Amino acid sequence: MSKLILTVDDSASMRMLLKASLAAQGFQVEVADDGEHGLERMHEVKPDLLITDINMPRMDGFELIEAVRAVPEFRGTPILVLSTEFSDEKKTRAREAGATGWITKPFEAAKLGAAVRRVCP
Amino acid sequence: MSDELDEIQGIFFEECVEGLAVAEQGLSAMAEGDVSSETIAGVFRAVHSIKGGSGAFGHAALLAFSHRFENVLDEVRGGRIPASAEVTQIMLGAFDILSDHVTAAQSGTEPPADAAMLEQLDAVLESKGAVAAAEPVAAPVPAAEADDFGFTPVAAVIEDFDPFGFEPVAVDLEDFAPAEPAEPAGWTVRFGPSRGALANGGEPMLVIRELEDMGAAVTGVEMDTLPGLRDLDPEDSYFVWTLHVPGTVGEQDIRDCFDFVAPDSLIEIEREEAVVTMVVVEQSVAAEFDGFGVFEPLPAPEELLTLVPVEPAPVVAAAVSPAAAVSPAAAPGKPKAEARQASVEVAQSIRVDLSKLDQLLNLVGELVIRGSILSDRLSPADQERVELPELSRLTRQIQDNVMSLRAQPIKQAFSRVPRMLRDLSAETGKKVVLETIGEMTEVDKGVIEKIGDPLTHMIRNAVDHGIESAEERIAAGKPAEGTIHLSAEQKGARIIVRVRDDGRGINRERVRAKAIERGIIAADAQISDEEIDGLICAPGFSTAETISNISGRGVGMDVVRSNVEALGGRLEIHSVPGEGTTFSMGLPLTLAILDGMIVRLSDQRFVLPLANVVETVQPEPGQVQATSPTSEVIELRGQYLPVRRVGEMFGVGSNRPPEESLVIIVESETAGNVGLMVDTIDNRREVVIKSLEDNLHPIRGLGGATILGDGSIALILDIDALVAPTGGSSKYALKGMAA
Repeated sequence: MSKLILTVDDSASMRMLLKASLAAQGFQVEVADDGEHGLERMHEVKPDLLITDINMPRMDGFELIEAVRAVPEFRGTPILVLSTEFSDEKKTRAREAGATGWITKPFEAAKLGAAVRRVCP
Repeated sequence: MSDELDEIQGIFFEECVEGLAVAEQGLSAMAEGDVSSETIAGVFRAVHSIKGGSGAFGHAALLAFSHRFENVLDEVRGGRIPASAEVTQIMLGAFDILSDHVTAAQSGTEPPADAAMLEQLDAVLESKGAVAAAEPVAAPVPAAEADDFGFTPVAAVIEDFDPFGFEPVAVDLEDFAPAEPAEPAGWTVRFGPSRGALANGGEPMLVIRELEDMGAAVTGVEMDTLPGLRDLDPEDSYFVWTLHVPGTVGEQDIRDCFDFVAPDSLIEIEREEAVVTMVVVEQSVAAEFDGFGVFEPLPAPEELLTLVPVEPAPVVAAAVSPAAAVSPAAAPGKPKAEARQASVEVAQSIRVDLSKLDQLLNLVGELVIRGSILSDRLSPADQERVELPELSRLTRQIQDNVMSLRAQPIKQAFSRVPRMLRDLSAETGKKVVLETIGEMTEVDKGVIEKIGDPLTHMIRNAVDHGIESAEERIAAGKPAEGTIHLSAEQKGARIIVRVRDDGRGINRERVRAKAIERGIIAADAQISDEEIDGLICAPGFSTAETISNISGRGVGMDVVRSNVEALGGRLEIHSVPGEGTTFSMGLPLTLAILDGMIVRLSDQRFVLPLANVVETVQPEPGQVQATSPTSEVIELRGQYLPVRRVGEMFGVGSNRPPEESLVIIVESETAGNVGLMVDTIDNRREVVIKSLEDNLHPIRGLGGATILGDGSIALILDIDALVAPTGGSSKYALKGMAA
């Protein structure tokens, strides 16, 4: 039973890139295109791991992480933040919001896989 | 994966184009004084997305530029740099360069020269926006645009590329370790996850598993901190594992495993005699090198520091503003409420490959033809019995829907113009204002894609040759700023795009002299003003005294005209000396299907575009009168309209007398209402336009061909070309709407 990952990103090319990269490494991938959509999809697919972008319309990554962590069922779901943003303020915010780890764009497929396996049992 | 990557890269560039449009819209709004956080955030997000993807696809130059641009936008977004007029101007300039970067990345050509713009952006950052906008930096005119984007896929990662402009600070373990022996000794790793390591979905077990995958083995577990069951908190962590890792594993690889581990955990890596206690902060900096980050640590508990205490504090202090470190909630950024408000209803949409739509359109075309065949072969009673009218109605609805799928606001083609004008203004020093009308007019996407080039040249021509310098304008009693009106409107089955300038108009004396000099016309040619204006579209004609770098790039208006005609459109030029020039492109709304009236001339059938038909007249004897041996008029309600015998034009006439013929009154762009004399009318049909261009030279008056229900071929008439006054320079007669 391969792991199911939900990726949330407002850029279609980034979603496809993630999906292609993760699928090639044997993960099942579901996608959502912004925070609100991501939260809906969380309840639908109940993924083993959530990977989210930060800058998105409607609901950004921080808000999504907070919203996900507020659901008891998802308290222990690992969340990786995928973003090009690199300010410490952003990291602090993401961590406070409840992210498990952090990956910068652009990512390398192997590193991405390692990061995923590091938080996704 | 590389094919897939190519495909994804294509989508990325589509997104870039969309993002650029959003950014330009936002920046234009800002230039007009709308500096709401929503607008600014929109621009930021657009540029941010371009940056994200550019890194992923290895477009280093685009990545570097968008990153610097984004930095400024981020400051503006956070209110640390004011969205002043000067800053906005610089950002508009940066936007232009960004567009060039995207184009370069997409076509695989040299990235634009952006050093000057980067300096400006940096100046904005350094001065916190207290800058005056420099003179606009003219963007270099791109070299001839490559048509085919044959780029080679780039690996999705740039090794060692550090877009963040800082040196990774790795903890130098070499200080504590001897030179590498030939057979490296193993590592002893001690790992004591803190309570925090179990929060937020963290799972220390996975780190151990990862080390095991590298060949590590757990050699011991320290459990002395484990409390009694009564006091055990399942959310806390009490164990310290000791692992042996083979010496062949690099220390960085070991460290990488601990990337996400909570910063207050115990992590020791030991080789031979040296022990290093790592506090995750250095690691995070080092790790960024690999594209991973770890959140900055809380101060490490004193007792965990063993041999080599590392002071994380200075690093943290340098990296985080105190406010942010203490209370992220107080950190600048979008307050939540505002973010909620900013949520925009996004229409649900999917991307469909255009070729799929083309295929669908072709099928619909075939369906239309089959429908015609049925209605040709079935008696009216049978048609009713099989409910053919219903079927036709459905077919037409499907066709309309498919058409609307491909229709898009012409705004897409117009969106390049403001930027172009900015460049041209900078290049020529002429001040030009743009006025746009009708940009929401919808046209087939295929048309939109193809009018970009002609439009570009018309605008260039208007600025370069039409608009005068400010001094000249003032001397002529005009405002110093020239105006270019860009408009689009739908007229029947055509769309008319106009570029009108209020410049000096066409200098007919000079055009005429030049045309004679170039041997385009005879020295004694008698030609009308309109024909002289038309000469500027003659091949090889250029009136610019010096080949300017704007419209004289080896591309004259003749190319514009042939581009427009290839689209089945027509280019018209109207000029009033001293008052300006108007270029009008008349283009078919769609390139595929036409509502036509089938008319008969002896045994030939022709199709008239129904959009042009006003009425049909069965002439009474004497209603059609000859005014000269070659021209006739029809008297209609007290008015006289010119009549053309279509049969004679194509040499298929049956020479019936007018009273046994029909006169179809059509509306034309060029000559108002005109009567076309034909033998009979067959019926009304939707016909699928097949191009003649592929196999034949353009024929004046014919706009294409179609296959009728009985399988025979009918030619489609181009009314405007048919009724155009036949004049001296029929060589430049403008032809019609072949698809």
